[in-house]
Amino acid sequence: MPGRALDVLIVEDEVLLATELEFLVQEAGYHPVGCAMSSDEAVDLARSLHPDLALVDVHLRDGPTGVEVVRKIHDDCGCVALFMTANVKRLPDDFAGACGVIGKPYSEHGVKTALAYLAVCLEEGHAPGLPPVGLALAPAYAELWGLTETPRSA
Amino acid sequence: MTDYLKSQRASDQLAAEHGIDDPFAAAIRATRMAMIVTDATQADNPIIFANDAFLRLTGYARSEVIGRNCRFLQGPDTSPVAIGELRGAIADGDDIAIDILNYRKDGSTFWNALYLSPVRNKLGQIIYFFGSQLDVSEKKQTEQHLRETRSDLEDAVEARTRELSLALEQKTALLHEVDHRVKNNLQLISSLLLLQNRREKEPAVKHSLRGMLERVNAIATVHRRLFQSEDVERFDVSAFVRDLVSDMAGSANRDEIRVSLDLERVDVPASKAAPLALVISELFSNALRHGFPEGRSGHISVSITRTNGEFRIEIADDGVGMAEGARSTGFGLTIVQLLCQQLKARSETTATQPGTRVVVNLPVNGAHH
Repeated sequence: MPGRALDVLIVEDEVLLATELEFLVQEAGYHPVGCAMSSDEAVDLARSLHPDLALVDVHLRDGPTGVEVVRKIHDDCGCVALFMTANVKRLPDDFAGACGVIGKPYSEHGVKTALAYLAVCLEEGHAPGLPPVGLALAPAYAELWGLTETPRSA
Repeated sequence: MTDYLKSQRASDQLAAEHGIDDPFAAAIRATRMAMIVTDATQADNPIIFANDAFLRLTGYARSEVIGRNCRFLQGPDTSPVAIGELRGAIADGDDIAIDILNYRKDGSTFWNALYLSPVRNKLGQIIYFFGSQLDVSEKKQTEQHLRETRSDLEDAVEARTRELSLALEQKTALLHEVDHRVKNNLQLISSLLLLQNRREKEPAVKHSLRGMLERVNAIATVHRRLFQSEDVERFDVSAFVRDLVSDMAGSANRDEIRVSLDLERVDVPASKAAPLALVISELFSNALRHGFPEGRSGHISVSITRTNGEFRIEIADDGVGMAEGARSTGFGLTIVQLLCQQLKARSETTATQPGTRVVVNLPVNGAHH
């Protein structure tokens, strides 16, 4: 497994997606530390569990609150968030502080390679290359991790 | 001598100079156009002549107008700007044509197309003013009506444009919503298949589930790409193939199989994207899964080229070939055949020893219809 064993928080209101994603994260060699279905739950879990990475859907049980969740957990807990949404175009330009986005529908392989890529980025502080197919980085993180160009391929 | 008498005398003098046999004077008296003459040499420039048409137009008797300045025609709604212009022209000794709102004796109004011009003597001094009046109320009304109609029309167009913009906005929002739901539902379907696959122990069932997952993923890859470009009608096949092949080859986790792509950019109508994606996915999966058993290494190439009126999609491998690697396992091949029929495409499979080459020829823009 490339990179370190990340603690991953899943924020997704569709229970089948969340369950499968949890399996997938585990299979890829990381630790799923919890699943949140609403924005309050997500912020509470992020504060108490201090995950390395939060996978956040934009539409949660209490509405399109995923963007605010990302902003809060980024500002309050310094948690790195990654959007997983079918509505990539509706994300704010600054990604609300998230490191990037995986567009739905994603594939099993797409998520695994994205996680492996991000694990290396977080561990080493710079990107091992261009992001894999399906993953688009936020401009701020692309710069932080030493990439000058960020093709949005998700 | 009173003003009236003075004016009457000036009038008599004018009449004497232009007697009964003067055809010009007769014409002015009898014309249907209202006309007056004022005496510029008298104080306040009084009217000394008014023809019958003027009296008919204004409703006054001759005795009521002779000796008066013609400002008695003005009233409360007469434009002060127009009055100012009129005064300026008289003071400067210029002629002037102006539309001005005037009042009749009975208080009713009419639009007067007034023409006023100075008459000079031999020394160049202004001695008279000649004025002609034309009732243009109807024309003004028509103009006003036209202005109102045009303004109404502009309002209506603006309102309709607003409605249409709003409708378009709503339709766009709806399209985004539907797109969002399609993507989420595809994600849900693929998660369901993955979950069941995790629980399943029977290898044959797992194999079937994997096959279905691959097909759903192919359609999902199409939808990820579909609304990315501005043109929602066209679909870039080369970009899609790059995504699909990278995902399938990556998830197969077979580093010993090299994959090369040679893709010309070709667009197909969005409606053909999903069936074409399924065909390509099926053929590539076939090569990947059956061409290289037991860790056999090799090469798969995928190319898309455009030749006279057709897209040529070629998937070739140097694997074990058709006979050895139990290919065309029924369902996959059936899907390819059925979809080629739907796409009006021709598919040819050739044993290349080693390996297999499948070529799909697809008519551009339904040219073979």
